[in-house]
Amino acid sequence: MTIKIAQLSCGTEYSSVQYEIEKAARSVGAKIVYPDVSAADIDEAVKRFGFNPRSPQLKLMIARAAQLADEKYDADAVFITTCFRCAEAALVRNELRRFIQDNTRLPVVTYSFTERLKASQLLTRMEALVTIVTRKELLARERQTGLTAGLDSGSSTTKAVIMQDNKIIGKDWTPSGDVVKSATQVLENAMKQAGVELKDIEAIGTTGYGRFTLGDHFGAKLVQEELTVNSKGAVWLADRQRGEATIIDIGGMDNKAITVRDGVPDNFTMGGICAGASGRFLEMTSRRMKIDVTELGALADKGNWRNAKMNYYCSVFGIQDLVTTLGEGKSFEDVAAAACHSVAEQVYEQQLQEIDVRHPIIQVGGTSLISGLVTQVGEVLGEKPIVPPDSQYIGAVGGALLSSGFL
Amino acid sequence: MSEQRETRLFMISPRSMLTPDQLSRMVHAFGEEAIVKETCYGCLVEAPRETVLRILARVRERYPNEVFSKVRAYPCSDPRRCRAQHGTRPGYAQLEAEWALLSHIQYALDRVDAGAKYVPPKEKKRIPVNDFKKICEVQ
Amino acid sequence: MKVFIDPPNSLVLFDLVERFGHEPLSAMAAIQEKVDNLEVDMPPMNVTLDDVVRGLKYAGVEVPSGIRGRLALWGPMIDEADAAIIMDDCPYSFGCVGCERSNLMVKYLIKRRGIPALHVSYPEDDEQAVNFVAQTKEFLEGLQ
Repeated sequence: MTIKIAQLSCGTEYSSVQYEIEKAARSVGAKIVYPDVSAADIDEAVKRFGFNPRSPQLKLMIARAAQLADEKYDADAVFITTCFRCAEAALVRNELRRFIQDNTRLPVVTYSFTERLKASQLLTRMEALVTIVTRKELLARERQTGLTAGLDSGSSTTKAVIMQDNKIIGKDWTPSGDVVKSATQVLENAMKQAGVELKDIEAIGTTGYGRFTLGDHFGAKLVQEELTVNSKGAVWLADRQRGEATIIDIGGMDNKAITVRDGVPDNFTMGGICAGASGRFLEMTSRRMKIDVTELGALADKGNWRNAKMNYYCSVFGIQDLVTTLGEGKSFEDVAAAACHSVAEQVYEQQLQEIDVRHPIIQVGGTSLISGLVTQVGEVLGEKPIVPPDSQYIGAVGGALLSSGFL
Repeated sequence: MSEQRETRLFMISPRSMLTPDQLSRMVHAFGEEAIVKETCYGCLVEAPRETVLRILARVRERYPNEVFSKVRAYPCSDPRRCRAQHGTRPGYAQLEAEWALLSHIQYALDRVDAGAKYVPPKEKKRIPVNDFKKICEVQ
Repeated sequence: MKVFIDPPNSLVLFDLVERFGHEPLSAMAAIQEKVDNLEVDMPPMNVTLDDVVRGLKYAGVEVPSGIRGRLALWGPMIDEADAAIIMDDCPYSFGCVGCERSNLMVKYLIKRRGIPALHVSYPEDDEQAVNFVAQTKEFLEGLQ
């Protein structure tokens, strides 16, 4: 079955990225389609939508969205994309995303591109759209059964979890090195803790950047992108399998913000162009402050970010700013708080604008252990996020939980 | 296809009594080596440029002011732009809008052939604010 | 003479320019050159990263890529044109289904080149159409 992803876009053909979009879709077994519209449809749709952009292609996007909302055109998922730095398109992109969500049950992802976009950057997003459509029943799974393992091969760390009868019985993590070696090491440690052997494990689920390599190596039953797997892990750990929630995962290389309804993602954003909005920024800050990153959070909670003003947010100049502030005699606590605040603010500005934040907010991933960052995310969003126990293991837990669906 | 390839779209004005079927048959009957594809608005013709221009001249001779034409970038049935693959082409709404306009253009060409000249229209000006104020006050 | 038409894909303008004896420079010709290039496989339009980078001649890097890509196609035609016909205030569906900022820049580039340019109004009835056709004909016949 080929999944039809309806593309609502402006500028892709003239930016030389249309081919890359279609390539990404094809590689996950999907096909890009455009809902049919006539000139009369455009007039009517724009009037009904109520936002009348000057650019004709944006009007066409609106008309295409209306076709989907009215079920006049059959698609399985929606990809909304426009040129980076175009204000008019950014407004339409976000409002159309909201319109699609209000009027359909189709999963949506939005993206703003530059001419440098490559298919690989879209792969995880496209794969997640396809997963949501094709694995609805699997994603609805709320309990883990049997004895299963989850492996999460991330850009910074590799995690393993062993689960039995809906409980975590073993877990371990290590900084990522060689994909297979790191995973083997954490899996062995987790198995030792659980008192089980590899032959006892009934199914393995892999996720993260190294998922395909690990999937092949361990003969995994489930090899799935981290957007859907992490959100399952997050709602399981936070015991929020029903109703709505927003999951925020500030990773080492990219951030994910996912909204879920009954544990199934329906909209997500994934950022990865700015180190200033990632866990890497906090790692670098700690290194410059000559402290361990695990100490940063507690320090930050004692400080006040307003005392250490930063003029830049990027990982080069922003950290230089912090060092200068230290030189001026500001406290370590204030500087640590400023670093956490900066990351929280950047995640908010760069990503959370693209989704409608639903409550509660569940913060997960390794960086959720940095309490100062969670505090600052709470301050920026006006609501303190829930950090479930074992929050750094979401991917591995999701992998173990979902792979038990294959038993 | 060679550099010479030209794909041309012939569109019939809505005021004309000519049908796409008649137009396509006529072009076929010219006996030129060309691909002729009947469409809802008229027809598409594809051939080396010189052939297309000969066909254009003959269509113009026969129906001077009711058949319009422009070149099309993509060859006939190009999968990159085929409607069956992706839905309507980006220029589809434009063609619809132009088709409606052709009725007036046909009339205008007939009139210009009969000697009608350009008359600069009276320039529209906004009324001075003070005048507008007075009108509002009266109301 | 080579006459650039704006909207660059207009059937009516293309037809009239050709009908009255000149060579229209249109979006279709620019795109045809791209799509007929068998050495490039970037469907649907074969616009490549290099093209978008070439668009920097007309607009800076802070301008969205879609605008630079469009200008990379229309810009060289405007550079090459001897004259231009621009249809003002046309309905949005009439004209290149695209980006309004690019459309504004195209009009400006024509102005900046200083070539003879005729601005016509979109006709709304038969009588306005007569004026439009007559004006276009006079302009085109007057081009030496």
